[in-house]
Amino acid sequence: MKELNELILPEDVKFTDEHEWARVEGDHVRVGISDYAQDQLGDVVFVELPEVGSSFNKGDEFGTVESVKTVSEIYMPVSGEVVAINEELADHPEYVNTDPYGKGWMIEVAPSDLSEMDSLLDKNAYLKLLEEE
Amino acid sequence: MKTTPLNAWHRRQGANMAEFGGYDMPLWYSSAKNEHLSVLTHAGLFDTSHMAGVAVEGPDAFALLQRCFSRDLTRCLGPLNHPLKPGRCVYGVFLNEEGHVVDDAIVYQLGEARYLCVVNAGMGGVIAQHLTQYAEGFNVSIHDLTDRVGKMDIQGPLSAKVLKALLKDPEKVFENMIYFSFKGGFPGFDGPEGPVLLDGIPILLSRSGYTGEFGFEIFTDLSHTVEVWERLLKAGEVLGLTPCGLAARDSLRAGAVLPLSHQDIGHWPFLNNPWTFALPYDDTQKGFTKEFVGGQALLDMTGADYTLPFIGKDLRKVSIDHETQVLDKNQEVIGTVLTCVSDMGIGRVGDTVYSIASPDKPAGFTPRGLSCGFVKVHQNLNEGEALELRDGRRAIRVTVTYDIRPDRTARVPIQKML
Repeated sequence: MKELNELILPEDVKFTDEHEWARVEGDHVRVGISDYAQDQLGDVVFVELPEVGSSFNKGDEFGTVESVKTVSEIYMPVSGEVVAINEELADHPEYVNTDPYGKGWMIEVAPSDLSEMDSLLDKNAYLKLLEEE
Repeated sequence: MKTTPLNAWHRRQGANMAEFGGYDMPLWYSSAKNEHLSVLTHAGLFDTSHMAGVAVEGPDAFALLQRCFSRDLTRCLGPLNHPLKPGRCVYGVFLNEEGHVVDDAIVYQLGEARYLCVVNAGMGGVIAQHLTQYAEGFNVSIHDLTDRVGKMDIQGPLSAKVLKALLKDPEKVFENMIYFSFKGGFPGFDGPEGPVLLDGIPILLSRSGYTGEFGFEIFTDLSHTVEVWERLLKAGEVLGLTPCGLAARDSLRAGAVLPLSHQDIGHWPFLNNPWTFALPYDDTQKGFTKEFVGGQALLDMTGADYTLPFIGKDLRKVSIDHETQVLDKNQEVIGTVLTCVSDMGIGRVGDTVYSIASPDKPAGFTPRGLSCGFVKVHQNLNEGEALELRDGRRAIRVTVTYDIRPDRTARVPIQKML
């Protein structure tokens, strides 16, 4: 298990208190789960993602991440329409473990209200949340 | 929370730790999937010092175990029903008067009128008390050995090769070492045909384990636990020996159709399940060859639930909680799910399930994993019958099966593993 000071917490993403991350890329928001989340889950063996074109509100469950031990829900950091999913995770679910902010991304969202990003946690606020867990 | 002598070692490796049976135990070190696979293809080492031992000794030790343990010790070995003898051990359960499981156990006969019952974590006191309750008028001593014995399991096809590098006189130790036999001992635990020395350290070596794969359980003095563990890992490095946590142990045992006590067997009748070989049925399969605690309740019972193994279409699981349901083909709720894990060492090619260790696996076969486990349902079902398992979030399609992971190695003769 990683110590808090070993966690990768990039400056260019924001976090939810359910351990998803969201990164603004142009008009879209890319979403995945944090290094802390993947470390807690262990080997990710299956990722269930929504259909492209489906819409969710902030906080809605949009899929599941399955590890050897458990199945966990993943929640929308912002409201919007799913415009892309990471097809590569079907054959390489382990990308969520090895590169959670890169090749392990999950969905890309066209946000309905980009200001929802402001309500998410920055690196320091997220770290504080982890210290309290 | 309690710890085993290896706790500091686990934490130094950065293991993901969790509470199990009152102990702080490793769930996995770096990868539960790789740990599971290493036991199928090479070997894995498990800290099992959280398990408890109960020593039963004295002139009436045999009579007490005959009264309380589900196996008939006069006829429990092999197809010819030979009696238990020093150097042999046997799996069974301790039941209460209602025929419900108090715990499962492996009973080792160490010598004349000397037995060791190995039970689950936290159950040493419970079983010692249970035995004491039925020992009135018996000339027997019962000792709870919780936290007083070091134990680890080496499991997987290369286990004997790892041990061979460390054992004194390995040929002699491995001679006639059939499944569920043991040799050696240590001070306070003198077993048969000893001593067995691992780098000079006395151990009790048992050809058993709880993964369904070839391997051994190793008992030693508590003070030698870390030393034996480290020497095994060092000797096993070149053979791919991997330290393994409880996650891999759980998925390996489920794939091998072995129950987890208090989850797959527990406070309900021990009937209509894959493990009733542990009951002392007579040739008619309708009566028992001895009287024992809980036996009459089982014989009198009708309408007990059925516990059946299942295997999934893919690796997806359902979560186990009170809302998890089993539905039949008519979408009727017929029971609950006891265990649901992914065996990452198996996969389907067409309708056939192969293991990563199957000798006849198709070229290029890579297992993608299959969910598996046990359901408890109100009616008996045939092999191949389709079920739906549903938790609050998803439904998965599974089928009833008699066996899960094919080509397991637990019973392969030791000579083929050297």
